[in-house]
Amino acid sequence: MLETVLQAVVNGLLIGGIYALVSIGVTLIFGVVKIVNFAQGEFVMIGMYISYYLSTQFGIDPVVSVLISMPILFVAGVLIQHYLIRRVLGLNDLPQIFLTFALSLLITNLSLMFFTANYRTIHTWYSDEALHLGGIYIPYAKLVSFVLAMVLSGALWLFLRSTDLGKAMRAASQNRDVAQLMGINPNRVFAVALGIALALAGAAGSLLMPFYPAYPMVGQVFVLMAFVAVVLGTLGNVLGALVASLLMGVAESLGIQFVGADSGLIVVFVLLLVTLALKPSGLAGGWRK
Amino acid sequence: MIKSNLIYKYVLSLLLVLMVFLPLVVKSSFVLEILVRILLFAFIGTAWNLLGGYAKQLSLGHSAFFGLGAYTSTLLQIDLGISPWIGMVVGGGVGLLASLPIGWLCFRLKGPYFTISTIATANVLMLIFLKFRDLAWGAEGTTIPNLGNAPLMMQFDNKVPYYYILLGLLIIALTITAWIERSRMGYYLIALGEDEDAAEASGVDVVKVKRNIYMISAFLTALAGTFYTQYIYFIDPQTAFNFNVSIEAALVSIVGGIGTLWGPVIGTVLLETTTILLQSYLGNSIGGIQLTVYSLILMAVILVRPTGIVGYFKEKSQARSST
Repeated sequence: MLETVLQAVVNGLLIGGIYALVSIGVTLIFGVVKIVNFAQGEFVMIGMYISYYLSTQFGIDPVVSVLISMPILFVAGVLIQHYLIRRVLGLNDLPQIFLTFALSLLITNLSLMFFTANYRTIHTWYSDEALHLGGIYIPYAKLVSFVLAMVLSGALWLFLRSTDLGKAMRAASQNRDVAQLMGINPNRVFAVALGIALALAGAAGSLLMPFYPAYPMVGQVFVLMAFVAVVLGTLGNVLGALVASLLMGVAESLGIQFVGADSGLIVVFVLLLVTLALKPSGLAGGWRK
Repeated sequence: MIKSNLIYKYVLSLLLVLMVFLPLVVKSSFVLEILVRILLFAFIGTAWNLLGGYAKQLSLGHSAFFGLGAYTSTLLQIDLGISPWIGMVVGGGVGLLASLPIGWLCFRLKGPYFTISTIATANVLMLIFLKFRDLAWGAEGTTIPNLGNAPLMMQFDNKVPYYYILLGLLIIALTITAWIERSRMGYYLIALGEDEDAAEASGVDVVKVKRNIYMISAFLTALAGTFYTQYIYFIDPQTAFNFNVSIEAALVSIVGGIGTLWGPVIGTVLLETTTILLQSYLGNSIGGIQLTVYSLILMAVILVRPTGIVGYFKEKSQARSST
């Protein structure tokens, strides 16, 4: 019994690392640009397809292809900020919500047209290998992705702490007007925030590829998970999103283990709704100004 | 201004008469099918518009009520033999009642997080119907027993009656909208949509207004759910709680003109016409093309003119009358 619980917790933590990369992106965009990015999951999907094609066409290992998917998505983020999101900043909810929502629909359906709805998987040499610790079973693919996810999250945390650009970003998220008065160029900060957030989503996609199938609608799972984690971890808070994502992973995994294989998502949604019911002021407060 | 209003009314009455007599001329079941689709989404869009357009509570979870309406009437019909005509009204009632807890939960949030919580509630409902097989057939769903031409059981051997049911529903929804627009509640709604805090400060009972409009919107959406199940003779959680219903309800309203009486109707006509043109040029073979085009139209509307098509003409006529 204890072993089953431990195994479920380990499984949850491992996938929670990936959720963290997605949620940190959502929370970063929200904190800095004040936009909820409904398309974040689609960038995970793009990261997955990039790694899939690099792996099948050029034999590049998905973990290595992080080095390619991250820069591509960084550039995509900067462009999306510059050409799309910049134009709805300061407007009301409708354009802000439905612009990224339309982007999500567009990317999903374009992928459906170009990649078809088929599931794509990659088989790597370590896909079937696992570490046995006591009675606990830790697949290498998940372990590697988890470790790299934590490294990337840590790197982002250091970046926000210690570099000028990172500090500018945090300043802009705390008070945009004052930050601007201090000589921070908001457009540049926003573009970098979008770039980093999308690069993290791309990394999540690449790291998922060795053990998760890619298909056009795959992003929905991750974006919903990220929304819950971002709410739980207090909007705009990077560390909060990280911890909440790991918890979400564990909650989902325990749900699968003890309620049934198809109930992982129910657990997650119920968690979201319970959070909303019990802690709404913490969510709605502070960010609507 | 008064003159243009009169012309507007004449044109609309003419259009309505035309719609009533249309099936006498149009015999092609292909065209009727398209008309049914247009009326269906114009109706759902009009229902969504009450909440999303006037109160500016941007829900993406209206499939929750669509699905509840569909399941209520189907369960009543198959388990108890009750006619879907009654089931439709009961389903509307279930949707209305369901909007109370859902609203209680989701209205605690504002802006994008309201939208996300509505997506979550619709998903929870779908997962419940998928998971609990004893409740209603689980993931496999069920077909509606075909009784041939049975008007009392809302089954017909041709498409014309379906067309009239929807036309009736749409007229009801538009009448309700027009009536609300002119009532005290309409002003409350517009105040709420413009600025919730300011509306509350001016003495509008924001909680009550939101709850009431959500109930009406949910009731109407649930009616569409019953209709659709009867129309396609099939129900399962994926079709009943289809996310695309939520998307299209919002989309037709935004494209046509959010918070305007005729916005959803005009938006539906535009989007559905686009679909038909696409299909006739490209065939049905390419999956995803319809929503690709819809999302491009949505983006264009948001970036160029967030008030939609009706909003654009309204602004134009206001600019003209003020000069």
